[in-house]
Amino acid sequence: MKRILIADDASFMRQMIRDIIEPEGYEVVGEAADGVDVIEQFLELRPDLVMMDIVMPKRSGIDAVKAIKVEDPGATVVMCSALGQEMLVMEAIEAGAKDFIVKPFKPDAVLTTLGKVLEKEI
Amino acid sequence: MDLAKYRALFLEEATDHLSEMSRALLVLEKRPDAREAIDEVFRMAHSIKGMAGSLGYDAITDLSHKLEDTMERFRSDGVVPAGEAGMALLFAGLEGLETMVAAVRADGEPAAPDSALLRRLEVEPDPQASGSLGSLEPDPKKVAMS
Repeated sequence: MKRILIADDASFMRQMIRDIIEPEGYEVVGEAADGVDVIEQFLELRPDLVMMDIVMPKRSGIDAVKAIKVEDPGATVVMCSALGQEMLVMEAIEAGAKDFIVKPFKPDAVLTTLGKVLEKEI
Repeated sequence: MDLAKYRALFLEEATDHLSEMSRALLVLEKRPDAREAIDEVFRMAHSIKGMAGSLGYDAITDLSHKLEDTMERFRSDGVVPAGEAGMALLFAGLEGLETMVAAVRADGEPAAPDSALLRRLEVEPDPQASGSLGSLEPDPKKVAMS
């Protein structure tokens, strides 16, 4: 079972992701509400994949990707973006994120992206 | 999707966000270049937009999106201007969101969009106009009195 860490400052969004992926066999090992918390939880939990919001307090999702990739260059991160954040998504991909999904979340798109990214990691 | 569950989550979180936004605007009224408060208002608008979009609350999504775009401009400038193009506009945006969230709580759906407010948020400030971005001079005393 793949272990997922969810980072989003809105508990609404974290719950929504959890409800989409858990029934499909993913294990949510942690939830982080800001860009510092996600780095700390990543180091402790070493998940298979991080779902990372871009706009978060304390440190942005992009900063968090950079910090995580320094600690673990093989880390797998998927960005959660909103429409209109294309430039930020590009920056996150350049920082090492593997892919992105766009809010509002469509369950099929979320699951397809996770499946695709994790398949590449095998 | 369990709509009732997500509506309850939305109401709880949006109400908290609007309180945070209100507090941040009060800080900005005194210190219009308070970076953390500018970022806070931006993030709250962004977060409400994301939640409302997930529930199909288009009127809330639209207003919060325009408020977010407005805050993005102020972030770039590092300051919120006084007057109609700045603080007054943000307070009006906050009030508009509060009204819509209250309608979701009461009726299960957001109130109709305030088209006049949306138009105000769409307008790029005139650099020559009083109290607009271009004419702003960082004078905290002046801002505090306005």
